[in-house]
Amino acid sequence: MIQAIKTTGLTKTYGEKRALDDVNLVVPEGSIFGFLGPNGAGKTTTLRILTGLARPTSGSVQILGHDVAMAGNEVRADVGFLPDVPGFYEWMTTEGLLRFAGGLFGIGGPVLEERVAMLLDLAGLGGVKTKIGGYSRGMKQRLGVAQALVNAPKLLLLDEPTSALDPIGRKDVLDMLTSLRGRTTVFFSTHILADVERVCDTVAILDRGRVVAHGPIDELKARYGVQKVVVEVTSDGDELAEEIGRQSWATAVARGSEGAIEITVADMSAAQREIPAMVAARNTGMSRMEAGEMGLEEVFVELVGGEPR
Amino acid sequence: MNGFTVFVGKEAREIPRTWRIWVLPGILLFFALTDPVLARFTPQIVGALGGNQLSGLKIPTPTYLDAYAQWTKDLSQIGLFALIIIYAGIISAETKSGTAVLVLTKPVSRTAFVIAKAAVHSGFLTVLVVLGTLLTWGLTEAIFGKAPGSALWSAALVWLVFGVMFITLMTLLSVLIGSTAGAAGAGLGVYALVSIAAIWKPLGTYSPAGLASLPASLAAGKDAVVLWPVLTSLLLAVALVALAAQMFRRKDL
Repeated sequence: MIQAIKTTGLTKTYGEKRALDDVNLVVPEGSIFGFLGPNGAGKTTTLRILTGLARPTSGSVQILGHDVAMAGNEVRADVGFLPDVPGFYEWMTTEGLLRFAGGLFGIGGPVLEERVAMLLDLAGLGGVKTKIGGYSRGMKQRLGVAQALVNAPKLLLLDEPTSALDPIGRKDVLDMLTSLRGRTTVFFSTHILADVERVCDTVAILDRGRVVAHGPIDELKARYGVQKVVVEVTSDGDELAEEIGRQSWATAVARGSEGAIEITVADMSAAQREIPAMVAARNTGMSRMEAGEMGLEEVFVELVGGEPR
Repeated sequence: MNGFTVFVGKEAREIPRTWRIWVLPGILLFFALTDPVLARFTPQIVGALGGNQLSGLKIPTPTYLDAYAQWTKDLSQIGLFALIIIYAGIISAETKSGTAVLVLTKPVSRTAFVIAKAAVHSGFLTVLVVLGTLLTWGLTEAIFGKAPGSALWSAALVWLVFGVMFITLMTLLSVLIGSTAGAAGAGLGVYALVSIAAIWKPLGTYSPAGLASLPASLAAGKDAVVLWPVLTSLLLAVALVALAAQMFRRKDL
């Protein structure tokens, strides 16, 4: 099976600074791939190399089975790209820009007419006749997504596609990405964890130029995540927490907000069986008991060691 | 239509839709309209400004050659300076604004990008020089009653070759130097060097440096051998575009 993207030992240095360090990525065809990392992790550098805008210091990149260093127009014909800050000819109108972008792909006639009309509708810019120079950042971002789709790409590369959008615009873009599932491979970089959890099936986490985690989201949560139980009782909270801390299935106990007891557990079924019995034995009331896995955010924080934005 | 022709079309449409339609055309139109008039009335203007102090100075009666000399001088000095400054950002303006990324992530090669820009703006300069020279020619005929074409056109067309060579030079400098001011400074430096080099006869006769002074000689109606300077300038222009494309291909955007 041909992978949509395959990087091997990708390294990029700027003088002494190592922006990317031995990055190995495999993006399966048809997936929606979240490329997650804090600002400055190397996400934009990776995308610039994937699109041929920059060259790696070492390592190789294959896009849709072609080596990016050797291939030219034939690869670009199947790829759509939205940069982090898209630049446009400000004297053009939205429609003019989409026609121009389509023309660069050799698309014309009724096919281009149909695509332009569909993309104007998708970008919510159908009635806008003014020049791009007067657009807001959000309008430019939506136009950027539209122009990236003008060639009906097999691979869509998006650099921080939702960062400049308001909540409604963000939802529209994420819905649009979800609608492409199975038809187009989508690779998008972001530092917004909620976006990744919402639409992606596969994820890579980049930190200081290195991939620290890579795989399906569920697998990552299972690999890096731990199980937790949160209990709230009406009285005797401190004594109960101490008693739970002595159990073999409890690996850590902490007090959360409003007196909640947060227990990291090694054996979830034992905890679910024994905690209610302990509460009943103390003749106290239980107001809440929740069990669950660690989310992607906690996985991210654990791996990257900082606060996500 | 392929990506190259679509990009050429964009580059051509951009001229009338941006500041480009006003600056160089405005400068050349101004000179084309005023040079024959200034040439005709120079004795009166000098007399009015100098008053009695210049009463001993004998200014020869102006002829159509003075109008030609004025037009050629303005092309060679202010025209070329303006061209160097205007085209200092011919490539870097697009790389800085992000529009180069928009185009170059589609099926348009960097070589095509560079060639399209150099070709369209060389064509634009050709149209401007031809129109400006036509205007100067017509006004000279109207004012002086006589305007033989060969001296004016040979001077203007030889300068056009010089101008095209400088567009290609600025294309290369704009690839190499990201700053528009830096590229403009380098372009003006090259112009100064070329002007100095033209003083040395072998360079003035056989190299592009000869084009710095040839238009003035031709406009004065003198015979001059233009073959080698024109030929080497055209070859150099092609080489500069090829080098610009090569350097642009290596550049990280």
